[in-house]
Amino acid sequence: MTEKEITQHEAAADERAMFGFWIYLMTDLLMFSALFAVFAVLRGNTFGGPTGRELFKLPQVLAETIILLTSSFTCGVAMIAARRGNKGQTLLWFFLTGILGLVFLSLEVHEFAGLIHDGHTLSSNAFMSSFFVLVGTHGLHILIGLLWMGITLAYVIKRGLNGPLVRKLAMLSLFWHFLDIVWIFIFTFVYLRAFV
Amino acid sequence: MSKQHNRQEGTMGSYVIGFVLALICSLIPYYLVFHQTVTGNGLLATILGFALAQMLIQITFFLHIGRGPKPRWELYFFAATVSSILVVVGGSLLIINNLHYNMTPDEQTANVVNNEGITQVSGFKTGACPEAHTNHQIVVKNNQFDPAHLVAAKCDTVTFRNEDAESRTIAFGTPPQDIAYAGQRDLSLPKNYNQTIILSETGTYQFYDSLHQTVAGSLTAN
Repeated sequence: MTEKEITQHEAAADERAMFGFWIYLMTDLLMFSALFAVFAVLRGNTFGGPTGRELFKLPQVLAETIILLTSSFTCGVAMIAARRGNKGQTLLWFFLTGILGLVFLSLEVHEFAGLIHDGHTLSSNAFMSSFFVLVGTHGLHILIGLLWMGITLAYVIKRGLNGPLVRKLAMLSLFWHFLDIVWIFIFTFVYLRAFV
Repeated sequence: MSKQHNRQEGTMGSYVIGFVLALICSLIPYYLVFHQTVTGNGLLATILGFALAQMLIQITFFLHIGRGPKPRWELYFFAATVSSILVVVGGSLLIINNLHYNMTPDEQTANVVNNEGITQVSGFKTGACPEAHTNHQIVVKNNQFDPAHLVAAKCDTVTFRNEDAESRTIAFGTPPQDIAYAGQRDLSLPKNYNQTIILSETGTYQFYDSLHQTVAGSLTAN
């Protein structure tokens, strides 16, 4: 095989891997849609307890939204650097993405801890159950994304930006953008909707 | 790099545009909800519109789906997934809302009478009140109904309001036997809640708090 053929072969393998990952993301989206449907059905069943309007703090949710959106942006910038083979810039921007992700996650944990401290737990009523499961599943995805980011960046530091690692980073960025899109709907249907 | 490789790639410009547009699509609905400039279904439709717009913006500027060479398999697969989601979420809401609406025979009767205004079913009068009504209020305060006895005309409405700290569950009839009045059974009233019923049946009826049966009152509809 000539060098050109090898490059084409690798590019085709990249395409297939990215498409496979896209299929995974779509099935994940289906799972989220089921959780959204459950939340939409059960959001009124508070069993005499407080509704979302009394529990949610909108400014904090807006902060979470902006932080996650910014991390999605820095993730995209990091990917541009990765494709250009700029290792320093890649690490810097992905590091920023990870920090923003951590801040987002800690805000969410803080919100959950506050709710649980006030006695609104997973088992309080159907509304709280569906709320914790939907938002918690998204938070779990963020956590997994952060772990994945940490491991991949450690490999980048150790081995440099080679082809397979750039592909892994591309999947990671796809995953991260995807989580931000899911968050838009949580922001709208879980939090904003409670005040309509 | 080959041409195929460019399909996942974005430029700095596209990310900045996407970021700014997405930020706007988050801030506007937040502002509208926070200040309640619009309310009700208009607000709901607006925030839904901004959510969909932001999704499309992020898909275009961050994910770059729908660009690059054909065939656009990602786009097709995404469209198929969205269709499934519409069926699952839309179908669930449709079915469950219908179940909620027709939960018990009592509620069905109440819906037929009060919400749909059906005056007659198979030759029987349902007592539905299609005209406008006068509203009366009965407040529960300091373990007493005020007024303790209400006299009203048929088709008037009565709003029960609970101003005591404890939750009330108002039942009709004489304790411990409770009956359904106008298709209603057990009006649940947490603190500072209101529940309105339509006096679609004539006669004198007792009502009481089913947890504190000494808290009782009555109403007469002529």
